[in-house]
Amino acid sequence: MGKEVRKEHPAIVCRCNDVTVEDVERAIEEGCRDIECLRKVLRVGMGPCQGRTCIPILARILARKLGKKVSEIEIPVVRAPIIPLPAHLALKSIDADEGGND
Amino acid sequence: MRVVIVGAGVSGLFIAYELAREGIDRIVVLERSYVGAGSTGRCATGIRASFTSEEHVVLMRESIRLWEEHSRGELGDYGLTFVRGGYLWVARREETLDYFRKLVSLHNRLGVPTRVIGADEAKELVPQLRTDIIAGAMHDPTAGKSYVFTTLRALMKACSERGVEIRTRSAVTKLAAEGGVVKAAVLESGERIKGDVFVIAAGSGSRELLKTLGIELPTKNMPRHIMVTEAFARAFDPLVVDWDTPGAPYTVQSTEGNFFIARELEEEPELSIYSQRIDFIPKALKPIAELLPFLRAVRVLRYWIGYYVTTPDNHPVYGPVKSYSNLFLATGFSGHGYMMGPVTGKVIASWVLRGKPCIEHAARLTLERFEKGALIKELAVVG
Repeated sequence: MGKEVRKEHPAIVCRCNDVTVEDVERAIEEGCRDIECLRKVLRVGMGPCQGRTCIPILARILARKLGKKVSEIEIPVVRAPIIPLPAHLALKSIDADEGGND
Repeated sequence: MRVVIVGAGVSGLFIAYELAREGIDRIVVLERSYVGAGSTGRCATGIRASFTSEEHVVLMRESIRLWEEHSRGELGDYGLTFVRGGYLWVARREETLDYFRKLVSLHNRLGVPTRVIGADEAKELVPQLRTDIIAGAMHDPTAGKSYVFTTLRALMKACSERGVEIRTRSAVTKLAAEGGVVKAAVLESGERIKGDVFVIAAGSGSRELLKTLGIELPTKNMPRHIMVTEAFARAFDPLVVDWDTPGAPYTVQSTEGNFFIARELEEEPELSIYSQRIDFIPKALKPIAELLPFLRAVRVLRYWIGYYVTTPDNHPVYGPVKSYSNLFLATGFSGHGYMMGPVTGKVIASWVLRGKPCIEHAARLTLERFEKGALIKELAVVG
């Protein structure tokens, strides 16, 4: 869906998955009522930034479109490791435990 | 006829979809959270028929046929995909190949064309695979994968178009019955949703809900961990299982490009899905990165827990319940609910509309089997 709606200078909400304000507004018009639904439909908030950039923006757009307060919009659960973790760094902990030499 | 379905996961939505396609125009799906919030949205999306019980094989062969059919039909137009990428169980030890040969003869007898292949042929399927540490593999070419969020979105669209009402944030706290007939699903708010037929497809919440009718469902919610990496261009198609490492680690690249990586760790049932167990990440990565060294360079985005809603015989609980005339179950999939989604929809719709399942093997999977001790025997459990 992300690529379908394009203006000459689109306002990008989610840089990880290239999603615009128009994409988000259209998903809400199609029936999305919360950030969880927007995540599933547009894959916003699921890229390397883990939603740190887009979730606050999404909450504002939802609040505006649904006539709610931003504080009434439910924010998705934050999941570890929060910042993308290179696999070789994660492996260091276990290699050390098991006497590995990495 | 008004049908009330509890649970907007893959099972509830496929049941709603099939009933709507058969002309039922008053269907409501009640969901305590958001669509796919339970085990569906947490799964690794693998789809296979290579089981060793006749029941599983027959149902899953039909389910795979339906996945393909849906991907080319209306649901496909709405984004549902099915990729026949296969499953590859990698053996690190020679003797494991003997075990695989036994499994293959069981699969083949049941009509699933798995075979044992050498390390070189495995490398043709997964070019990044390190062959110096493996003895060979078992390959199931009929297996595949389907990205879960596009599936859910397609089902939501197709259901909504047919007038199915999907009510999210509508937790059912109890079922109210009179004289062996379920009358209403009672919401947290106190609202009573009345119906003529009730279908419980509530995954990990099914057991507590059925207690309100005095029904004991013998399921345990077993926590299973999984992580996802950044997205990359297509690297390989099969789901790769490291069979000789405890906890059978596996990885699969989703159609969106991310790698799912999982490994079973010892956990107590009912552990909260919001627990954090950061040591899971290196424990699952290590064996998988041994087999696929390029994964050392990727970054892990996040990790989560989902439940395998597990029955004593690892087969689902389908169909009617003796004590209530208008109640049907579709739960306890023991880790296979996503892949069984399409066949679950067909089987339960036919039970609701015609009083019997369209596939006779499903009739062996009712709740009654636990009272009678007629458990299904899986001859070998593979992942």
